[in-house]
Amino acid sequence: MRKILFGSWLLSLLFCLPVLAQEIAVSGRVTSSDDGSTLPGVSVQVKGTTRGTTTDADGNYRISAPANARLVFSFIGFLSQEVAVGNRSTVNVRLDNNAQELNEVVVTGYGGTVNRREFTGASSKVAGATVSNLPVGSFDKALAGRAAGVQVTSANGVPGGAIQIRVRGVGSISAGSDPLYVVDGVQLNTTNNSTFTSSNPLAFLNPSDIESIEILKDAAAASIYGSQAANGVVLVTTKRGKAGKTQISVNYFTGVADPIKKLDVLNTQEWIALRTQARINGGQTSEAARAAVLSTIRQPTTLSDADIAALPTYDWQDAVYKRGITNNYELGLNGGNDKTRFYVSGSYYTQSANIVNVDFKRGTLNTTLTHQINPKLSIDQTLKMSTISARGQFGGPNGGSFLGAGAFASPLIIPSIPIYNPDGSYFGPPSQGGIPGILNQNILQVSELNTIRADINQFVGSLALNYKVIDGLTIRPFVSLDYRIIRGRNFSDPRTADGFNVRGRIQDQLNENKNFLTNITANYNKLFAGKHDVGLLLGAEYRSDVNENLATNITNVPTPDFKYASAAALPQNIFGTFNNFRKASIFGNIKYDFNKKYNLSLIGRLDGSSRFGSNYRYGFFPSISGAWLVTEEDFLKGNNLVSDLKLRASFGTTGNDQLGSLFNQSNFPGLGLVSAGFDYNGAAGFAPTQLANPDLRWETNETTNIGLDFGFFQNRLTGSVDVFRRVSRDLLLPFNLPFTSGYSTISRNVGSVENKGLEIELNSVNLKAGPFQWRSTFNITFIENKVTSLYPGIVPLANPDSAITLAYTDFYGVGRTAILGRPLQAQYTTDYAGVNPATGRPMFRDFAGNITYTPITPRDQKYFGTELPKFYGGFNNTFTYGGLTLDVLFQYDYGRRSFNSQTSFLAELAGRDFNALRSVYDRRWQQPGDITDVPRPINGNIETRGVSGLGGTRTLEDASYLRLKQITLAYDVPAAVSKRIGASKARVYIQSANLLTFTNWTSYDPEFLNFGGNGNTGVVPNSKTYQAGINLTF
Amino acid sequence: MRTIKHIWSLGLLTTGILTVTACSNLLDVDPRSNVDSQSALTTAEGLDAGLNGIYDRLQNTALYGRDMLAVAEALADNAQATNKSGRLNNENRNIAGSSFGTTFAPGTWQSAYFAINQANLILDALPGVTALTDTNRRNSIRGQAQFLRALLYHDLMRIYAYDPGVEIAQNSRGGVPLLTTGVLNQGQITFPARAPIADVYTQIYSDLQGSINSFGRSAGSNGTLPTNGNLQAAQVLFSRVALYNKDYATAVKNATDAIAGTVKLSPNASYVGGWRAPRNPESVFELAYTTPENIGVNNALQTTYTTLVRVGDRTATGGFGDLVPNNAFIAELEAEKNTAGQALDIRRQLYELGTTGRGNAFIECTKFLGKNGIINLDNVPVIRISEAYLNRAEANAMLGNTANALADLNVIRTRSGLPERTGLTGDALLNEILRQRRLEFGFEGHRWFDLKRRGQDVIKTIPLTTTPNNVPYNDFRILAPIPVNELSTNKSVRQNFGY
Repeated sequence: MRKILFGSWLLSLLFCLPVLAQEIAVSGRVTSSDDGSTLPGVSVQVKGTTRGTTTDADGNYRISAPANARLVFSFIGFLSQEVAVGNRSTVNVRLDNNAQELNEVVVTGYGGTVNRREFTGASSKVAGATVSNLPVGSFDKALAGRAAGVQVTSANGVPGGAIQIRVRGVGSISAGSDPLYVVDGVQLNTTNNSTFTSSNPLAFLNPSDIESIEILKDAAAASIYGSQAANGVVLVTTKRGKAGKTQISVNYFTGVADPIKKLDVLNTQEWIALRTQARINGGQTSEAARAAVLSTIRQPTTLSDADIAALPTYDWQDAVYKRGITNNYELGLNGGNDKTRFYVSGSYYTQSANIVNVDFKRGTLNTTLTHQINPKLSIDQTLKMSTISARGQFGGPNGGSFLGAGAFASPLIIPSIPIYNPDGSYFGPPSQGGIPGILNQNILQVSELNTIRADINQFVGSLALNYKVIDGLTIRPFVSLDYRIIRGRNFSDPRTADGFNVRGRIQDQLNENKNFLTNITANYNKLFAGKHDVGLLLGAEYRSDVNENLATNITNVPTPDFKYASAAALPQNIFGTFNNFRKASIFGNIKYDFNKKYNLSLIGRLDGSSRFGSNYRYGFFPSISGAWLVTEEDFLKGNNLVSDLKLRASFGTTGNDQLGSLFNQSNFPGLGLVSAGFDYNGAAGFAPTQLANPDLRWETNETTNIGLDFGFFQNRLTGSVDVFRRVSRDLLLPFNLPFTSGYSTISRNVGSVENKGLEIELNSVNLKAGPFQWRSTFNITFIENKVTSLYPGIVPLANPDSAITLAYTDFYGVGRTAILGRPLQAQYTTDYAGVNPATGRPMFRDFAGNITYTPITPRDQKYFGTELPKFYGGFNNTFTYGGLTLDVLFQYDYGRRSFNSQTSFLAELAGRDFNALRSVYDRRWQQPGDITDVPRPINGNIETRGVSGLGGTRTLEDASYLRLKQITLAYDVPAAVSKRIGASKARVYIQSANLLTFTNWTSYDPEFLNFGGNGNTGVVPNSKTYQAGINLTF
Repeated sequence: MRTIKHIWSLGLLTTGILTVTACSNLLDVDPRSNVDSQSALTTAEGLDAGLNGIYDRLQNTALYGRDMLAVAEALADNAQATNKSGRLNNENRNIAGSSFGTTFAPGTWQSAYFAINQANLILDALPGVTALTDTNRRNSIRGQAQFLRALLYHDLMRIYAYDPGVEIAQNSRGGVPLLTTGVLNQGQITFPARAPIADVYTQIYSDLQGSINSFGRSAGSNGTLPTNGNLQAAQVLFSRVALYNKDYATAVKNATDAIAGTVKLSPNASYVGGWRAPRNPESVFELAYTTPENIGVNNALQTTYTTLVRVGDRTATGGFGDLVPNNAFIAELEAEKNTAGQALDIRRQLYELGTTGRGNAFIECTKFLGKNGIINLDNVPVIRISEAYLNRAEANAMLGNTANALADLNVIRTRSGLPERTGLTGDALLNEILRQRRLEFGFEGHRWFDLKRRGQDVIKTIPLTTTPNNVPYNDFRILAPIPVNELSTNKSVRQNFGY
């Protein structure tokens, strides 16, 4: 200790020496090039010394510096500027606002930041401005196409609905693949605990409060988060107050959302003819078939051709799809003085979906406070509160039978069925036997009368103390709580199909999650001998996460007006569950920078978790990384062509502890368990459900990354190229047991998956001519995913592939099959070979390539691609002319092969009582000699001695798409004009999202997630939105 | 002062690190929604709960919740699939691999073996629970566990293996794996091959005899309720098993014992009414379903068999009505008529025209109609006393005891409103017994197994087409495929022929 003190004293003395030479007092004012306003809080530093100050509330500063010194002015969000003082005593500076400057600092976790030039890992940064003022319920949705290596997929078009982010591919088979989200140091629990609605645990955050988002991608960047970092880490930093005059910002936007597309389906006459044909093809006489079809749609069987021609067609898609409305109101205040700074904001956001009775409302309140108690001690406090009320789709992927889901059923309902009776009441309520056909419910009635709702109240708060022990050494204790309570409701009205026979059903959910985190870190930074920059981070952490859930299910209400549980007469079920995990960790990071040229970083984290078997409770996750700033070498210094060149390399391990499906979301995977609920005849019962496994341990990822950051032509063209190899091992697999053992599986750490990829990010200033500027950013990510080991002893399938396969249920509830040597989420099925031109029967290829009507599983199964994309990315162009900015973002995703389960129903061609897609209908086989891929319609969809004509690859489609994700035209009103209303800044804009989509996908929307294994059936599609907004700063 | 602060802050950091690393119990969290399996079966209450766990397993869709009844009907010649939800279409068409689960969906095999393991665990644990001093209760628990194990092994045998005496030697791959000790930890897992058919029957016999003995010594304990395993149920099951085993004397003996039991045949006057009551008075073993156990609108027996919500009310549509009687079956029910042309057989009243709510109306089976007061909630009669008469009749017919066989046949016939038959002998007698068995247990899951155990072809036609879809007895589809999982995890198990 004494040595360090002595050393630091000696060092400061060394730096102070030249100062003693010729001091002059310099003062001045710093303004913004945007609007000429003064900038408080700008750091002013004498180059080559530690001496510095900041500008006061009016942007003024005063500093003493040696003559011929150079002053460095830097401020977040602005380009740093270096000015020679010369003999001047007044130096006024205008700082250029530059979004790219934001890129210069990398947020590394645990309060750390590092200059991007010195950063040795792989990360991508997205500025807060990019994700704010968009009609999205949560910021993650707006990250799509913005960062290389980051794939963002909306689960559906439900406002505030689930989003999936995959950083550098999928590196787990059965466990979760979601990144860790850290907001202002708080590690969030992002498990979606809402039973009835599609919800997003990140929706509590108003995107406008975000300053920046850093996505840590490789082990070097992420391993400080150890066992939670394998899927990447998303660090969100929210806005902080700035000293100076209190700024008040007012923000409003409004917009509409329309369905991306409607499906073209048959009219009544076509449907009757097609269904009749299907029945005839199924063996009925034409008279019997016609009579059966007419009686199905409850028409007299005696109708003449002319009568049939006169039947009306009803458009059910028109009835359930509608125009959604978005409104967003925000008020923010920020300011403070040199001791205390604050940022306070409130917002209210409402969005209705493009489908009936689905909406999202959110109010947020956000405060952050920074206070300097004394020169050594400061506190940081954050408190984010939000209340969300969201209504979900009836029968959607989360809740209810999808038969009643508007998105699913509206194109499938027989077109002759009216929506309303002539008197305006709903047609076909269950009291009148429902509507004809398999889809027995009036989907408009069920959507309007039933309630699917979740009220989510969340608060995320933290308090940190920064104690500056000596220059360069800070100790920071930190506590946080992420508290979320969900009240879910699912009311089945007694007048609707689901409620009719039980006279109404009320299901309530109450889920409470308490996620407590505390850590203490020590951070030491020191520059030795002007060349050796050393940084040291040491920390300890404890986290406890408790989840308790209560769910009730009660039926029989007196009348539909009684909507709460006490009114119902017959309790059906009550469920209560408890889950808890705890983690304890120590971690450290050593950084070393030699002469701003060579950087080295070592990270290690020891993590313990209650989730794992007693033999493997602790895991160690180290990483090593280095960077070489080639342009700092003499041979490149001052080079006109190459302005920046940095080579990075890293290797490290991270862990994954998101255990899920294998353990029914339970946190006790290592124990042998007997579970309750196996009751009989009113008496409690139990059954063994899990075999003990004391060897259960972490899933481990080893990531190797080599990257090149470059800037050419005075940084007119900048970018990064990264190649990586992510080897995920010890993956938890359900080790299948013979059922005769009484258990189906035991979990063992046996699988491996490899992701190899290439990421390219390019930023360019294409044109700079006076007030006109054209900038582009482009990113693309190629990923190759492969299952490299399952477990030994799996008997190969009896087919020519001898495929080694393993069925599992993934973290998200989807039943999948992993195939050794193939990518995850593989499509393994039989090959549909089109239609026999002579008979119209569907044909398949057997294992030898010969035509067969009855393919045999698994003999004839083959690999047909994967649901993972081959490459994805975004391309953004920004055109600026004075205050006018046009921003155009394209996003693309190529190579996904998905079953189109929605289209599969529509492709039945009236094999059952469903309507059919016109594009399929037009291609159907009609007479001998027709060469087509669509078989003849047949009742039941199965030809005699055949299999379903919808099987195999028939409905496997290419879900690639290119999308005009976002187009924005904004105008920054000149300060001179905005001043008239007293505003220092004013910005108006119009914007559209998902305006154009180019795809071969045949149902609504190629962007969806397969939640619960129903594919895209019943998924509310994303919408096209148009909006206009205004931001004012006073 | 400054140094003190340093020490203080370093101390804080050190304390933090030490706390995290030193206190290993910091990470100990006990489950509260489940319990450790090692201690679960060490008390009398635990044994009761474990036993309930087996009955609960039997309630699964893959066992008596649906498949043991509806799939067996779909495969056989009584029923046609209506394609209203598409369920059971493949089974009704006898598509290879769609039989009690599919090749990949483990279905009945899995549920049955899980339940067998639960029974094994109870039988293993029972001697060790010394705190259980009530011998009646102890015997009842043993009797129930043995009865359930016998029922499950017999169900597995009739689905996956040839029945004794009618094996097709070149196709037969034996019985099913036989496990009689429970698995509670990894080390106890075994990988047995399929036992010979005779060995499995030996085990079933031993369990049934043990069960009958135990129940005989469990006076006053709950082993007498039809909702649980009981003496009479074990006796009827034994007569059934013996019939399958062509061991006709044993079948006659146990059927006779059972007929002497407390549950009696319903008379003509209350027979149909018995099917409308929550609990069928004929049941010697009936699975009770309580409100939370409703299987629901997709797979419950009510929704599988009928669109109706109530008898005689065609205005309200409930379920799908996926599997309905075919014309041949209805014709058999209506074969004997009175002079006014009305069907004499009162069992015809258990079938009526469904609704048009989900397409065309069909005559549907109404044996399951939400009798517990809630739609899709029905108890499932697993064994009815009528079976004892038909088992005995058939066994006697096979033994040549024509008079006794005819007497039992006429008990069933007259109870059903049909005139007594006289003078029947030989094949004619046997055929009428089998015909009555088909009509008596329509849609209760007997037909497929009855044809199979006698080596008979399944003659059926697909509705709406003219192409027959018969399943000759020598067709490989007579046996269900063993789930692929079993083959890949246990190399000793051989798949059935043809799959």
